[in-house]
Amino acid sequence: MNIENGKRFLPEGRHLMMGNVAMAEGALSSGLKFFGGYPITPSTEVIEHLAVRLPQVGGICMQMEDELASINSVIGASLVGAKSMTATSGPGLSLMVETISMAANLEVPFVFCDVQRNGPGTGFVTEPHHNDIGLVRFSGNGEFQVIALAPMTCQELFDLTITAFNYAETYRCPVYILSDAYLGHLHEIVNVPPKEEIQKRVIDRELPTPDQFIKKFTYKDDITGELVIPKPPQMGTDYCPGMFLHQPHNYEGLPTPKPMQFMEAIMDKINKNKDKICITEQYKLDDANIVIIAYGLPVRSSYRAVDIARKENIKVGIFRLVTVWPFPDKRVKEVVKDARAVIVPELNYTGYVAEQVERVTKLDTPVIKIPKVCEFHHPDDILNIIREVAK
Amino acid sequence: MTRFETRIAGYGGQGVITLSKMIITASSLYEGLAGTQTEAYSAAARGGKCWAEVVIDLDKTVKVIDYPKALEPYDFLIILSEEAAADVKPNMIKKEPNTGYLIWDNSTIQKVRAAKKVDKSLGIPIQKMAVEKFGNIVYGNSILLGVFTILSGIFSEESALETIKKFVPSSTLDRNLESFELGKQEAIEFLNRLKEGNN
Repeated sequence: MNIENGKRFLPEGRHLMMGNVAMAEGALSSGLKFFGGYPITPSTEVIEHLAVRLPQVGGICMQMEDELASINSVIGASLVGAKSMTATSGPGLSLMVETISMAANLEVPFVFCDVQRNGPGTGFVTEPHHNDIGLVRFSGNGEFQVIALAPMTCQELFDLTITAFNYAETYRCPVYILSDAYLGHLHEIVNVPPKEEIQKRVIDRELPTPDQFIKKFTYKDDITGELVIPKPPQMGTDYCPGMFLHQPHNYEGLPTPKPMQFMEAIMDKINKNKDKICITEQYKLDDANIVIIAYGLPVRSSYRAVDIARKENIKVGIFRLVTVWPFPDKRVKEVVKDARAVIVPELNYTGYVAEQVERVTKLDTPVIKIPKVCEFHHPDDILNIIREVAK
Repeated sequence: MTRFETRIAGYGGQGVITLSKMIITASSLYEGLAGTQTEAYSAAARGGKCWAEVVIDLDKTVKVIDYPKALEPYDFLIILSEEAAADVKPNMIKKEPNTGYLIWDNSTIQKVRAAKKVDKSLGIPIQKMAVEKFGNIVYGNSILLGVFTILSGIFSEESALETIKKFVPSSTLDRNLESFELGKQEAIEFLNRLKEGNN
């Protein structure tokens, strides 16, 4: 299965694209070779688009019989060396978590597009709702860490999908792209950079080096004490792991009598690299005493609210989480330490990120949630709270 | 920041979504302005109450639209069904010079109650014209694009023509260009009437 580079990249320049298509094109640019999925509103356009595009570049797009088969095919493809991905929505994700847990144990790299919709249960299938934020973080039995990126424009859906694939290759863990029903169907211009530039950014799947013949899984180097994440093993080659993979294993893939060491390896490979993984953005934060912390679409509403509030001389700024998981605690702690109040507009009722923010703010700093369901914040929703706090 | 907010409402199948895509293509792809387009995404798009919104920033230095939905009051509101007409309120439309247009199809809608209180409102028998002159209601889209091009003035005629070429099958291009001209004429006449103050 060789990817034909000619058709892999879109021509350089401006393209008007739907969010779901931008994500699919981002994946193709990253060298996607296999897509296994089961169509579900609102993610259907991803598989629809890839069904046309993947065969063009020599890859495979398979519509499986259900979500369980989809995720298993994705893990299988990745184990034999193909960059692979699936796309689904909340109900699909909840069916897939068993295999995701196994993939985390095996340290199989793959990318997961979650185009979120309302829930629980079937919910309103066409409405956006960031209600998988919690499920994504603990997506499966056992303890493991995931990476989740939250784009907010079609351009970012393209760019961050490339980043997601790079993270998957580097950290060998499930990487999520948190889109939603609204963003997935938004049409915007995507500026596609020249293919040389994209190629420079992309981390390709590489065969393990001979010294990684034995050390196939993450381990702590005895001498330096550093965690080492080897290249993913490839089945059908000399690196095919043994049969005890599903248990806590050592770097060889054999069951280990020291499960604590295994746990340290798969948790710390993310925890210790937080600084590299976490992408955050700041907007007018320098002199702000009111801090908005948001991710995804509510950030766009916040921009507008902050611009209006600034004209009223209210010192407010935005701290945006592009990486939602792992949660960038240190940076958030730094940002909120002198804040009078922290506002967290989230497109859900629970406030998954607000809970994390509360964890790192001082007890007397109020963390104000602005919950919304099925419809993201109107700038006035945020502006009214800013004005109230500023009084 | 100079946002241009457009909303089109009607029922699924009338071309509400196609028209919105034509507008964003002309202004964002060909004119280079930042823009977002959103649409009704459900069974509504196939026969129910359907809508689409386009937000364009007229400031060329703006790269990304902040809030992607159209904010009231709108610069341009196009109403194509009786049901959508019932929801229109006069304060939904901007009351500023050179903007704030309410366009409705008076061959399918008997009356838009709010129209009287909107300075720049225009009823055009779009469906009737499309069927009588070109034999199919789909040409209504090009008529409306003609009207939009002249009244909004946010993109050039060349961009609009490029867009039509991109969207319509080549066998119907001539008739589409004709209907585009027809829309333009309607809009120009309307602007003249506005100038004379006897709309």
